[in-house]
Amino acid sequence: MELLTQLFPASHFSLLGLILILPLLAAFVNGVFGKRLGREAVTLMGLSAIFAAFVGAVITYLMLLGHGEHGELVRFHFNAWRWLQLEGVGDALAFRAVPLDVAFSVDALSGTMALVITGVGFLIHLYSSSYMAEDPGYYRFFAYLNLFIFSMLVLVLGNSLPILFVGWEGVGLCSYLLIGFWFSEDQNASAGKKAFITNRVGDFGLLVAMGLLVYYVGALDWHGIEVGRNNLLQPVKVWPVADSVPIAQLLPESLAEAISKPRYASAATLVCLALFLGAMGKSAQFGLHVWLPDAMAGPTPVSALIHAATMVTAGVYLLCRLSAVFVMSPMAMAVVAGIGAFTALFAATIALVQNDIKKVLAYSTLSQLGYMFLGAGVGAFEAGFFHVLTHAFFKACLFLGAGSVIHAMHARIHDTNDSQDMRNMGGLLKFMPATAITFAAAWAAIAGVPLTSGFFSKDEILLMALKSKVTGPATISGGQHRVVLENFVWPEWYSGLLYAMGLLTAILTAFYMSRLVIGIFLGEFRGWKIVPNWVDPHAQPASGAHDDHGHDAHAAAHDEHDDHAHHHHEKPGVEHMEGPTPHESPWQMTLPLWILGGLSLFAGLLNAHLIHIAPLGHFLEPVFAEASKSVEAPEESVESFKWIGAAIAVFIAAAPGIGLAWYTYVVKAGRPAAEAAAKFPRLHAFLSDKWRVDEFYKATILDIVDSLADMCVWFDKWIVDGILARASAFVIQAAGAILRQFQTGRVQAYSAVLMFGLLGVGTYLVLPHANVREHFDHASGVYKLSAAPGLGYKYRWDVDGQEGWDGGDKFGNRTEATFQLKVDEERVIRLEVEGPLLITSRYEKILVRPRPDASSAAVTPQKPEEKSAAVQLPPGHPPTRAGSAPDAKGTL
Amino acid sequence: MNPLARAFFEIAPYLLTFAVFALVPGRNQRLPLRLGMGAVAALLHVFVTCTWSGAPSLEESATSWPNLLSFLTFLPLVAAVFLLFLPRQSPGLLKNFTLAVLAIDFVASLSLLGVSAESGWRYQVVADWIPSLGIRYHVAVDGLSLWMVLLTTFTTPIAAIVAFGSIRERIKDLCFSLLMLHGAMLGAFISLDLFLFFVFWELMLIPMLILIGVYGGVDRIKAAYKFFLYTMVGSMMMLAAILYMVWTHKTLAGYITFDYLALSKLVLPKTAAYFCFAGFALAFLIKVPVFPFHTWLPDAHVQAPTGGSVLLAAVLLKLGTYGYLRFCMGMLGGPAGVVSTPLASVVIALGIIYGALIAWKQDDVKRLVAYSSVAHMGFIMLGLFAANPAGVKGAILQMINHGVSTGALFLLVGVIYDRRHTRMVGEFGGLAKVMPIYTSLFILVTMSSVGVPGTNGFVGEFMVIMGTFLGFEHLGPFAHFQAILASTGVILAALYMLSVVQKVFFGPLSNPKNKHLPDMNARELFAISPLVGLIFIIGFFPSLFLDRMGPSVEAVLDRYREHRQEFTAQEENSEARLMGRRGGPLESGYPEAPKSDAEKTAQASKNQAEEKAQ
Repeated sequence: MELLTQLFPASHFSLLGLILILPLLAAFVNGVFGKRLGREAVTLMGLSAIFAAFVGAVITYLMLLGHGEHGELVRFHFNAWRWLQLEGVGDALAFRAVPLDVAFSVDALSGTMALVITGVGFLIHLYSSSYMAEDPGYYRFFAYLNLFIFSMLVLVLGNSLPILFVGWEGVGLCSYLLIGFWFSEDQNASAGKKAFITNRVGDFGLLVAMGLLVYYVGALDWHGIEVGRNNLLQPVKVWPVADSVPIAQLLPESLAEAISKPRYASAATLVCLALFLGAMGKSAQFGLHVWLPDAMAGPTPVSALIHAATMVTAGVYLLCRLSAVFVMSPMAMAVVAGIGAFTALFAATIALVQNDIKKVLAYSTLSQLGYMFLGAGVGAFEAGFFHVLTHAFFKACLFLGAGSVIHAMHARIHDTNDSQDMRNMGGLLKFMPATAITFAAAWAAIAGVPLTSGFFSKDEILLMALKSKVTGPATISGGQHRVVLENFVWPEWYSGLLYAMGLLTAILTAFYMSRLVIGIFLGEFRGWKIVPNWVDPHAQPASGAHDDHGHDAHAAAHDEHDDHAHHHHEKPGVEHMEGPTPHESPWQMTLPLWILGGLSLFAGLLNAHLIHIAPLGHFLEPVFAEASKSVEAPEESVESFKWIGAAIAVFIAAAPGIGLAWYTYVVKAGRPAAEAAAKFPRLHAFLSDKWRVDEFYKATILDIVDSLADMCVWFDKWIVDGILARASAFVIQAAGAILRQFQTGRVQAYSAVLMFGLLGVGTYLVLPHANVREHFDHASGVYKLSAAPGLGYKYRWDVDGQEGWDGGDKFGNRTEATFQLKVDEERVIRLEVEGPLLITSRYEKILVRPRPDASSAAVTPQKPEEKSAAVQLPPGHPPTRAGSAPDAKGTL
Repeated sequence: MNPLARAFFEIAPYLLTFAVFALVPGRNQRLPLRLGMGAVAALLHVFVTCTWSGAPSLEESATSWPNLLSFLTFLPLVAAVFLLFLPRQSPGLLKNFTLAVLAIDFVASLSLLGVSAESGWRYQVVADWIPSLGIRYHVAVDGLSLWMVLLTTFTTPIAAIVAFGSIRERIKDLCFSLLMLHGAMLGAFISLDLFLFFVFWELMLIPMLILIGVYGGVDRIKAAYKFFLYTMVGSMMMLAAILYMVWTHKTLAGYITFDYLALSKLVLPKTAAYFCFAGFALAFLIKVPVFPFHTWLPDAHVQAPTGGSVLLAAVLLKLGTYGYLRFCMGMLGGPAGVVSTPLASVVIALGIIYGALIAWKQDDVKRLVAYSSVAHMGFIMLGLFAANPAGVKGAILQMINHGVSTGALFLLVGVIYDRRHTRMVGEFGGLAKVMPIYTSLFILVTMSSVGVPGTNGFVGEFMVIMGTFLGFEHLGPFAHFQAILASTGVILAALYMLSVVQKVFFGPLSNPKNKHLPDMNARELFAISPLVGLIFIIGFFPSLFLDRMGPSVEAVLDRYREHRQEFTAQEENSEARLMGRRGGPLESGYPEAPKSDAEKTAQASKNQAEEKAQ
């Protein structure tokens, strides 16, 4: 221990690096070289890496225990390298520089998680080495599985939210790859895609949460968030986004007032809700749960490891990790608890009617995850987290047991759905005793049979749901708008409601799990007619793969699907089919079952508050110390209260559930269930269709996005491209087409144009133009007009202010006229020009001599104002004369 | 320890990397590929260790060889001319010559990594070009253009390898175009004289036009024209703006210059500033492209040959974003700041979201990738509009990322096109069965494009989104709202990319034509290996890139802020004026007023006197 402490000091705990790098290395080697290395080498690589990581996790855990004697938070850090740094202006215009390191840390919470991940992970690796033995993608499978372990470890060991996010998306990626592991079936590939995209919705929430944290707190690492979390206690205006709602004026007044009323929420609530959206996605809470049941398309060990024991509990881990932030918002916690409780109940009702054993387990996983969130939501983080632990054991055991059963069923039934249908099973107890016994142990735990692990963890959650609630500060004030916000207070009835939902779920859980066990292991075998020493007529002698031990017909069947399209499906059932005796699985598969079964029974003693043995609880206490300050829970003194709660859990939930299932399915052989289904067909269909959530999403969100995308495509093609490219091209083309008509190359057309052109020019020349250049001097009153000269022009003027033309009606050669006006005098002046063809043109103007402006006249002597009324000379005019036109006095 | 042993231990890690990655290719691959992949991996390893902050960095080589940038730019241009004298009949010679030139260029450009991270111009060369018009040959790099230059020298050889793989005729023209394009792109990134920039900017158009118009698909002529005309419209507007600014500067300062440093001192009256900004912004936003000018991009991509698409996506589009950052924000920060909020909304709603939705509906894989480019470029522009260190650094990193990821995607699409001569999604399905390596690589690059953490895509997107969250200073009260909207792009990216992955690679292998498709060959594997390497290097060690651009980004942002303040402070109808000189490293190479002949001789005699005195 001394040596270890020296080797791995708390501030530079490089053991974490080792724990992380081994699975990654194994993933790389298996993925790239696995095909060449062969099956044994892949197995060795995968298993040894995970086992070494497990040993590392155990050492870490022991060291944590060694340090944690004084009841304070112990955290070992390992800072690998600087990742990046975020800089910008945050809240209150303070410059934020948020360094993000690739840093890891381990404390009681993450240490426990790491232990579960590597421990259960190793068992499942061992199990897979047999279960997947015959699969052609064996190496690929192990590479993904190792990569998953790596990502999951990054998730729990990461010291900041972005590093957690790396693991968070990494496990999502592995989940995507493993769900679609048998990719040649579209259904599997779709399930993988659905899982990834649904998870991405959650990841979006996490991204938003990170942004808000950077803005308000200025830190993303656990310590920094915890220290700066008080900055989250300020109101944030969430509506309207701008200063006013733009459409408000168009609406009736009352409505406008309602929608433009500013609404505030505390920053903590926003952050927590965004974080919870992320948790909902990963942990498949109601709303984003749709991917998990479909995810059962993956190989069964994957369902056990990823979709039951570890990955799906990441959301709960996140809540526990940031418990200090979550308790700051009672509203967000109410949402967490509410959604958790509802998910628990909702999934349990669906599990009642499922026949696919993996689907039953999937919905029970949903339901148990709901429990965990219920526990965390009411502030009982420790209870919620303990359920993560026990659930990892019993659910992994259940899934692996189910895998063992499916494996046995594959001896004769190759269709995925039929081999997982519990109507084809029954009576397997006598053929597969090891699987049956361990399965029963896990069943006892999940059903809440007293003294099993599930009993203790579930009992604790139920108890806390009733008595514990989250209280934040009564008011929150400050923020940019200086408002005071009253914090949300949990209503009185809420705890009761949560408790009732939890209790009801417990009854249903006991019932459907008993139904599952009875369906698989009791009664008569319904899969096929058992013929000892039966030989598969379809087996090709060359393949030789049909020995019973370690054969995974599941994968092999997939291979055959593609190569032999004619592979016929036989309807299972005693009357249709004959087959061999169902067989127990090999030791690689049963050993994990025994270990997990044992843990399911006895792990409860780690945290049995009921009988005052809670080493785990004490170990975790410092992690939740900050959070528990804001949680209001009555004193532990009422011992009897606890016992009453436990008794209720046993006698109202577990016992009736199990008893009812026994009565229905063993005593009455399932007839009451069938009758109930017949009596309420719509309810039954509703539950069988999983509350039709998928259909609802399809009809709403998916269809909306789909048609929106169609609209965008149309808009892009016809409006954007249409206006910018096609319309502009059309305009140019049209202009070109018109102009092209003038460039035909036909001489006749050209000469015609020439003719018309000459005609036009000639006409212009022939017509006279009465253009006059004016030269006015208002100050002196001298006005001078000079007419533009032209070919053969003759002029007559009228400038003397008297009727009739000056000097008679005859046209003369006078081109200039000068006259004097008095102040305020008005005179009409006229000019007529006669062209050579005796056509005349006229110019007429009324002239007024304005009063001299005294002020302006005093400052600047007025200059003669020159105006040109005839800037254009007639075309064809001799240039020499045009240049001298303004002062062509000589022509007078 | 004797020096030989020490030297061995120093290179041992690289040898190990070399050995491991030389083993990566499967059994049936031949030696050259092994050596190539090992070399690529070892080179990347060297890159990481040499650029690691704290590691002994290369000595500043700017003093040792100041003409490096000119060499980089003019080597391919001169080589392109030289190529014209090589025989058309020996395509092998032409190809090898081109590759050799590009390789020399790439290796030479690596010495740029030796520059220190401080802000200021590196490898600056100033020389008179057309003195009577004040046009100078002024080139330099800083933390922004450094990465663009490296991206170019890194991508073009890959594009050349890809192009040589799929194009069989008119090799000479192809080589000529590639070299010209390469030189022109580099020139545009390093020019600090607006006239010089404009020359290179226009010079890029022609080789690209040839690449699309000669080697493209069925509708290549139409696509080439569309590309050309769109860009040309923008260029003309930019030219008008440049000339106006040069003229205004002349009236104020008394001498004529096209220099970026001088013109960025200009504070124009509001209306004129808006018009000039519009001219520049139009040119760059068309190039990026930003809605509604984006429709040339899918057409050009679909018709262009694979190599052309890779270059177009990886480098040419970056000229738009780089130009916006350098010229719009650097010279016309005032109007750029005013329009940044509405433009940010445009790139979010009509780039990131709209582009993603359209991408989702495409049947042609290349078209899909092109529309995904619109979405990705939207992220880059958003980072620039946020205009804080996180956003801008994220944007520049995202430029590199987009070059790497989208380049790789186009390369991969080209692989399947070469085999089947179709890119329609409906033609495929279940390819994972026959082409496992191809599938793995495609999924990997998809993850990078979607932005899964650990790959490069995430770091860029993350920084841009965080930058937007911290962008109140320039984006105003909508920053959070915009950041949240932009984050939805993350969901949509997964939607469209995974849909196409599922349709092409998963499900039953139904089309008999796909039953016997060969997996990727050595050339293709070699071409994509550096891209794959970079995907992870940027994903895990973004600091290698971010640290080097940090000071330059801050300098640019300081100037931007200053411009904004000057612009908003000025009164209505005020006259154009020049900002005061600030000095400092960013001002080196500032054009001085040309001296009269008398002054020149006086100066010369003074110098001589000084020399004598020494």
